[in-house]
Amino acid sequence: MEYSNADNFINRELSWMEFNSRVLGEARDKSIPLFERLKFLSITASNLDEFVMIRVASLKDMVNAGYSKKDIAGLTPKQQLEAIGAKEHEFVNQQYSTLNRSLLPLLEKNHLTLIRNFEELDEKQSEFVDQYFMNEIYPVLTPMAVDSSRPFPLIRNKTLNLASLMRKKNGDKELEFATVQVPSVLPRVVEIPSGTEGQRTIILLEEIIEKNIQKLYLNYNVISTHPYRIMRNADFEIDEEEVADLLQEIQRQIKKRQWGEAIKLEVQDNMDKRLLKILKKNLRIDDNDIYSINGPLDLTFLMKVYGLDGFEHLKHAKYVPQELLQLENDADIFEQIRNSDILLHHPYDSFDPVVDFVRQAAKDDKVLAIKQTLYRVSGNSPIIASLAEAAERGKQVTVLVELKARFDEENNIIWAKKLEKAGCHVIYGLMGLKTHCKITLVVRREDDGIRRYVHLGTGNYNDSTAKLYTDLGLLTCANQIGEDATAVFNMISGYSEPIRWNKLALAPLWLRNKFLKLIDREIGHAVNGETAYVIAKMNSLCDKTIIEKLYEASGKGVKIELIVRGICCLKPGVPGLSDNISVRSIVGNFLEHARIFYFENGGSSEIYMGSADWMPRNLDKRVEILFPVEDEKLKEQVLHVLNVQLADNEKAHIMQADGSYEKPDRRGRKESINAQEIFCEETIKRNQVTGRKRKTRTFKPRTSN
Amino acid sequence: MKNMVTTFAAISIGSYELEMKIFELSPKNGIREVDRISHVIELGRDTYNKDKISFEMVDKLCDILYDFSRIMKGYKVKAYRACATSAIREAVNSKNVLDRVKVRTGLDVNLLSNSEQRFISYKAFSMKDQVADQAMKECTLLVDIGAGSAQITLFDKGNLITTQNIRLGVLRIRELLARLAQNADKYKGILEEYIDNDLETFTKIFLENYKVSNIVGTGENLSYVNFAQGEKPYVTKKEFTKIYEQLIGNSEEELADKLDIPQTHASLVAPSLMLFARLFSFTDAGKLWTPDVKLCDGLVVDYAQKNRLIKLKHDFNEDILSATRQIASRYRCNEAHTQFVEKTALGIFDAIKKLHGLGERERLILQLAAIMHDSGKFVSLMYPSEAGYDIIMASEIIGLSHEERQTVAKIIKYNAKDFDYREMSLTESKLTAILRLANALDRSHRQKMKDIKVTLDGNELVIMTSTYEDITLEYGLFKEKTELFEEIYGVKPVLRQHKISR
Repeated sequence: MEYSNADNFINRELSWMEFNSRVLGEARDKSIPLFERLKFLSITASNLDEFVMIRVASLKDMVNAGYSKKDIAGLTPKQQLEAIGAKEHEFVNQQYSTLNRSLLPLLEKNHLTLIRNFEELDEKQSEFVDQYFMNEIYPVLTPMAVDSSRPFPLIRNKTLNLASLMRKKNGDKELEFATVQVPSVLPRVVEIPSGTEGQRTIILLEEIIEKNIQKLYLNYNVISTHPYRIMRNADFEIDEEEVADLLQEIQRQIKKRQWGEAIKLEVQDNMDKRLLKILKKNLRIDDNDIYSINGPLDLTFLMKVYGLDGFEHLKHAKYVPQELLQLENDADIFEQIRNSDILLHHPYDSFDPVVDFVRQAAKDDKVLAIKQTLYRVSGNSPIIASLAEAAERGKQVTVLVELKARFDEENNIIWAKKLEKAGCHVIYGLMGLKTHCKITLVVRREDDGIRRYVHLGTGNYNDSTAKLYTDLGLLTCANQIGEDATAVFNMISGYSEPIRWNKLALAPLWLRNKFLKLIDREIGHAVNGETAYVIAKMNSLCDKTIIEKLYEASGKGVKIELIVRGICCLKPGVPGLSDNISVRSIVGNFLEHARIFYFENGGSSEIYMGSADWMPRNLDKRVEILFPVEDEKLKEQVLHVLNVQLADNEKAHIMQADGSYEKPDRRGRKESINAQEIFCEETIKRNQVTGRKRKTRTFKPRTSN
Repeated sequence: MKNMVTTFAAISIGSYELEMKIFELSPKNGIREVDRISHVIELGRDTYNKDKISFEMVDKLCDILYDFSRIMKGYKVKAYRACATSAIREAVNSKNVLDRVKVRTGLDVNLLSNSEQRFISYKAFSMKDQVADQAMKECTLLVDIGAGSAQITLFDKGNLITTQNIRLGVLRIRELLARLAQNADKYKGILEEYIDNDLETFTKIFLENYKVSNIVGTGENLSYVNFAQGEKPYVTKKEFTKIYEQLIGNSEEELADKLDIPQTHASLVAPSLMLFARLFSFTDAGKLWTPDVKLCDGLVVDYAQKNRLIKLKHDFNEDILSATRQIASRYRCNEAHTQFVEKTALGIFDAIKKLHGLGERERLILQLAAIMHDSGKFVSLMYPSEAGYDIIMASEIIGLSHEERQTVAKIIKYNAKDFDYREMSLTESKLTAILRLANALDRSHRQKMKDIKVTLDGNELVIMTSTYEDITLEYGLFKEKTELFEEIYGVKPVLRQHKISR
């Protein structure tokens, strides 16, 4: 069987677009509260922006460089761009039809009006916005005209702008062009007085500016004004060998990101043809890359609408992450870890124990050292503060700050400098590799010697995203894992690899082989007639070697159930190729982010979790860690997570052999299963049941029976 | 405190790798490795190719050692020992290198002699109970493969027979042959020829009367090849041959890939594999044991032993004595005379403890000198002193430091030669005086006074014998040979023959 045949794979970009369609599906799902649907629509927009800036940009680079190597699905970069372009236009149409046909009318019905055009404003409202323009907006605007002495200005990436055509008031016939950026420092959504009782009204910033555009160009008569937005190539590659100071180079490149080649132009579909021509010419953009849109540009403003007060009834009830009972009331976290390994399932379980772990370590006199990898950190991170405190208290603190975390580079540089000042040993990533693993090591000198406490996770040390992303974490002081964790940090610090690993498997050196071996072992069991079963949950699956191995395993009778949220280049259920493989994607209220791998292993099952997807970049270009869950009780819990997700029939989408996705068929089975909701309920219930045993602070009045 | 835990750092500055291990020692749990940090830096490359270590290399060395000392502080270690081996020892600028290290990192580095280094590794090996107990019952070759040389030690039924240093270090071989061999096939041939040359001599001279059944391999880079399969701690000759054949034809890249190790280490695997293969073919050995033993492990054992944190089962002094007796017999020393001198010298040593104030270690040195004091005669009857000195200096005795070996050699030299105070340290002169006295009591080499009793009586050291034999010769030369003793100790040796009527 020839597995490597291009027909057996799906192009990763197209698969990604399928994913974004599934998110859009949530925005179109009538069973979801209206404001949540706005949020999903907003997410599809920001997803698409990022996709264009990175993936499309890099394909364009390849085409420009004359690179024509085919991807695993047999498409050249040019073919991929064409396919993406067609799909993207269709997708954008869907986004706006969702907005215009469903969401805006529904908002109106639910007492929120979005003024689409400033001409719809009544007198009172007009007065209000004009006032607002003069007081708030006008001072920060920088209009720029173009003429023979002033070249076409540089339009910044992802910014919204208003282009105007105008004529000099002195009677000159010639048309002139001017542009002004809609300031990103001001809120895009402005609430204005409403004409009708009980109704609320909002308008977008660009409409207010458009209404007052004449005030910017006093010597001209403005003929037409239209918004536009461009995307630029924002991917940068740094030749690390050549760069002496990575920190400086990244700072320089971030500035440059604003000025990469323009690769996409968004305009409203009623734009003045003459304006469009000027933009097209000056931005050097192809017709295919121009998107004429029926509606407001840049739908991420919907997230701001979502944030409006007073519409709580149109949102999901907010879930409050639950504390782990054994860690409550300032429990000594080290003692709790010594008692048993602790599993954390975020956001159902609170992220506080992880923050606490570092915080207590910083203050504990017995702690000698804290070592941690940081990839994406939240603003004002309590973890950073604790690490700095630990260093100030004279502990050895080693922090790897990944400067190359895309779009977080700037943020990370700030933290890195702060930590260095506090006396931490900061490592700015590794040459040629991104450090993506999430590991914290606390070395503690106890009465009977050194004991190491380790936190390993599937998600970043970011207390904000931990409320939105589903991730798993393990706190343990198992000696073998502690030894490995020490070795990980020694390697990250530039020292040699250990002679052998006890429990952990690391990318880029060992991880791919580990996965292949684990799948091979299942194949062995299948061949021996034993049950062979793999469940793997991840964000993306596009590694060719692993997919081929999965096809092989399927052929030998291994049952494979995959839960892949995003990209999946594998084709499931193809007769003779992947009969035994199924793929499902869960797109829910929380972003599915955990990576879990279950191997039946002929009855003595093994469960691993980690930071790596089955993607070449994770397995070859990043430092990733795969760790086992060995405590039987915790294994059951993790398996439960997988099983509930496999049973989900509400938020799951089943991947078809052609790469499209369908919702599960629920005929004949009325019970609806929503994995994320089940986990919320279970977690709350857990705390209620055992919670009663807790000491309360209430007084207990004696009664006479 | 009930359970004191001591943290100790061992640093080994090897020929291609710097390694630091952090250990915890406690009476309850013994020795526990807490951290291992290593960094590849090919110091040996400079030394073996250019005789000295370059400025850039020293800089890099200091950077890493500085980092080591930072990590050490992080662990709050109580003590450390940093040792350098052949790469620095053989470099002409070794003193300057160590001085630079001291100035830049604050670390004191011991320069180990070959025998010290081997002894330390050997101590670590003796802690590996399983191997040490099982293999040592039989006739075993312990092969400690270093970067610059290999140390081959022969044990028979637990006794150390001989130990020889042969210049078959893995880095040395690699550097030497890299220029000669263009392809892997040819490399194999040349390597074999090169190794055989040394091994053949060794086996002819030292292994003639022994039937070797085990080879035990230790050494820094052996930990990267996982020889042992399954439960048993050794591989049979057959199993080894299979592994050997699978690996030996590979290029460095392939080897790195197959063994899943960095290429720097892979490049050193082939020479050690070949060495074992040749040893198998030169001997009757059927098993290869490869306990994971590195210099750092030895340093901690040494530290623990010296600080009475652990007790070693193995008696290393016995090894030293047994090896020394082997040397004496190789040079045909008169056994009966040697025994007499040994016993008498020790008797005198013990009797005048108050006078010399020396300890157990010096007693052992005296004993070794006594055992070998006659060896020079094998080479030259005219100049036995010089010949004796040279023999000792050329014989490796595992367990003796370079300085200790020199002490033994000097004692033997000045046993017969005119004494020269300026040449001798205090200890050396004290021990020489005792050996001379003991030797004088058997001038005739006929052990007439088997029942000697030595007692200190005021200003006299009374040597009492009740022999019936004629001791005129000994009497006659007694005064001349005891002058030194008198000078050094301020005590006059007196020989009394007290014949008891039967």
